[in-house]
Amino acid sequence: MAATTMNSMPSTGQSHWDRLAARARMQRRFSDVALYAFLIVVSLPIIVTYFWLLTLSFSAGRGEINTDVLWPSLFILTPALVALWIWGAVAKDRRQAFIGWGLILAGTIILYFSLLGDQLHLEGYRFLVDPDFNRLNESVVAGDKLSYSATAFPSVWVAFRNSLFVAGAQTVIVCTVASLAGYYISRFQFPLRNSMLRAMLVLHAFPTYTLVVPLFIILWYVGLLDSLVGVMLVLVGIELPFAVFIMKGFYDAVPWEVEMSALADGATRMQTYVRVVLPQVTNGLIAVTVFSFIRGWEEYIFMVTFLIKNTNWTMSLYMFFVTEENSLGIDFALVSAVAVFYVIPSLIMYTVAQKYLMQMSVSGVKG
Amino acid sequence: MARIEFKNIEKRFDDVVVIPGMDLVINDGEFVALLGPSGCGKSTSLFMLAGIYLPSGGDLLFDEHRVNEVEARDRNVGIVFQSYALYPHMTVRDNIRFPLRFKKVPDAEAKRRVREAAELVQVAELMNRRPSQLSGGQQQRVALARALVKDPQLLLLDEPLSNLDATLRLTMRTEIKALQERLGVTTILVTHDQLEATTMADRIICMREGEIEQIGSPDDLYLRPETLFVAGFIGSPPINILHGQVDSEKLRVGEAVAPLVGVGNGPFSIGLRPEHLEFGDSGVPARVIQTEPMGREILYVAESPLGLIRVLESGSQVNHRIGEETRIAFDPSNTLLFEEATGRRLDGAHFHLNTTARAA
Repeated sequence: MAATTMNSMPSTGQSHWDRLAARARMQRRFSDVALYAFLIVVSLPIIVTYFWLLTLSFSAGRGEINTDVLWPSLFILTPALVALWIWGAVAKDRRQAFIGWGLILAGTIILYFSLLGDQLHLEGYRFLVDPDFNRLNESVVAGDKLSYSATAFPSVWVAFRNSLFVAGAQTVIVCTVASLAGYYISRFQFPLRNSMLRAMLVLHAFPTYTLVVPLFIILWYVGLLDSLVGVMLVLVGIELPFAVFIMKGFYDAVPWEVEMSALADGATRMQTYVRVVLPQVTNGLIAVTVFSFIRGWEEYIFMVTFLIKNTNWTMSLYMFFVTEENSLGIDFALVSAVAVFYVIPSLIMYTVAQKYLMQMSVSGVKG
Repeated sequence: MARIEFKNIEKRFDDVVVIPGMDLVINDGEFVALLGPSGCGKSTSLFMLAGIYLPSGGDLLFDEHRVNEVEARDRNVGIVFQSYALYPHMTVRDNIRFPLRFKKVPDAEAKRRVREAAELVQVAELMNRRPSQLSGGQQQRVALARALVKDPQLLLLDEPLSNLDATLRLTMRTEIKALQERLGVTTILVTHDQLEATTMADRIICMREGEIEQIGSPDDLYLRPETLFVAGFIGSPPINILHGQVDSEKLRVGEAVAPLVGVGNGPFSIGLRPEHLEFGDSGVPARVIQTEPMGREILYVAESPLGLIRVLESGSQVNHRIGEETRIAFDPSNTLLFEEATGRRLDGAHFHLNTTARAA
């Protein structure tokens, strides 16, 4: 680049353009750096907090909370991550990249465990195998006479199954209804269509928890209080308007002609919908699936209000009672471990769906 | 292949009448163009043929059978849309095969027909691609293959060339026409582009506001337009329309007066094709105000007492400069005279304007 600048020195006009180009390059580089710096700074608190949770779940003790493991871990893992990234950029081919990554990872693991290995334990995760984790714990502290709390806890797998049922069933219903209703609203004209669309948006703007008391009474009347089906239906009702709205938007983007083609090609309306229209709104469907599943998985207020029996506990209630149920100070390893366990399904959901959520719709309509 | 007949077909959307009553026969194997400006009801007619719209009245006949209520999927009609409307989530192969999936065609035969259709429009080597990976022309060909694979009794083309660039449009025009001739399938082309209609179709149906203005060969429409609308719509550069008045067997156009017998009094319009006019020593005085070289010919716009007149001269040499004072002469046998009240052409009513113009 420098050579070019030198060569074009005689012509003042040329060097002027070079200066402008150099300035543009600098500005671009600077804005890139600024952007990345900003993104890193903003995301650090979130990442570090979650990482802290993870280290606590493997290292904390009862009644104490500290960053003893967090900082050394970050100190070892951050350079390792940077090294992995740099190696990925530097490596000449795939094979070389994998060998380098393997070496860096192995080195990091050995270093990590030799420095911090004696502070790590799996005590926090005992709840996965033993619902009586408190007795087990307290018997270590004060003998076996303090086993009263254990009976109140169901197995975590019961709570997991309940949460899975509520979130899963809610998702299935929301997706089915929203995809059909969105299609109808997008394609057909009917009385009060616009008022209905507006009403759906307004409904979404309402703080839903103002409905807790009336919903409680309704559920009690219809006999669905303290039942997973009841709370699941409540969540369906609350999630549905917005999901329908999202799906309508996706259907609006599917051109009419494609449907007409399918009809002329011999498909029935139903076949057209299933084979031609639905595949073009999969991204919307995936978005609705992810959002409504996570909504159901995270729900706490409705759960704590409408569910009472401990066999009906969902993960959010389980999480809550784990933090409550200790008379001898909070077992932070346990609480952190439950939290980590609780967050994993959401994390998996997002990771798997991320690709689809980001992907733009691939359309054949272009001249 | 089928013979199509519209018998007093009517289409209303709520209170809006799009087609008040249409009678039309399209013969088996014919290539017909529905030509008209947007909103003239040509697409509505197409959708009725495809079975997407239900006619509000009248009978739609395919080979003498009434098909008004027959579902689109049972009509065996192939459509190519302006946007091609390919299924974006399917490969080219699946796109072409799609119509056969609902026909219980045995697998081996379906494969053969898909291959044949693809070869017919030369997309055989693109079979595994997705529509988004194809160029506009290729998408167009795939859409054509998909419409042809089911051996349609009627092929509908809805502005099929509008999204293509100029060169490709020329190629596809020739190809579609050759294909239609070879397969002999009854074809209806819907377009607002007169050039597409005149170059491809055997017969043109010129429509306006839901009514048929004229049916005829491209020559008929160009040389013998029955209405003022057709005269104005067909032809590029457009026809010159001059306004005049007939008063006791004399036609007045601006300052010019010409004898005209056999017609009643009233306002008349005179249509003059730009290529039938020429600059000369006699005729209407005019001043050239614009020149537009178009390659093989040059379009001049001249200002005259009768209004602006377009003159087309063949050759690529600009012979008349802007500002030049000249005269425009024309051949009376190529003059079209329209009654302004009805917009209809008066047959055989020719006159000789340039003689009197000299007098004026």
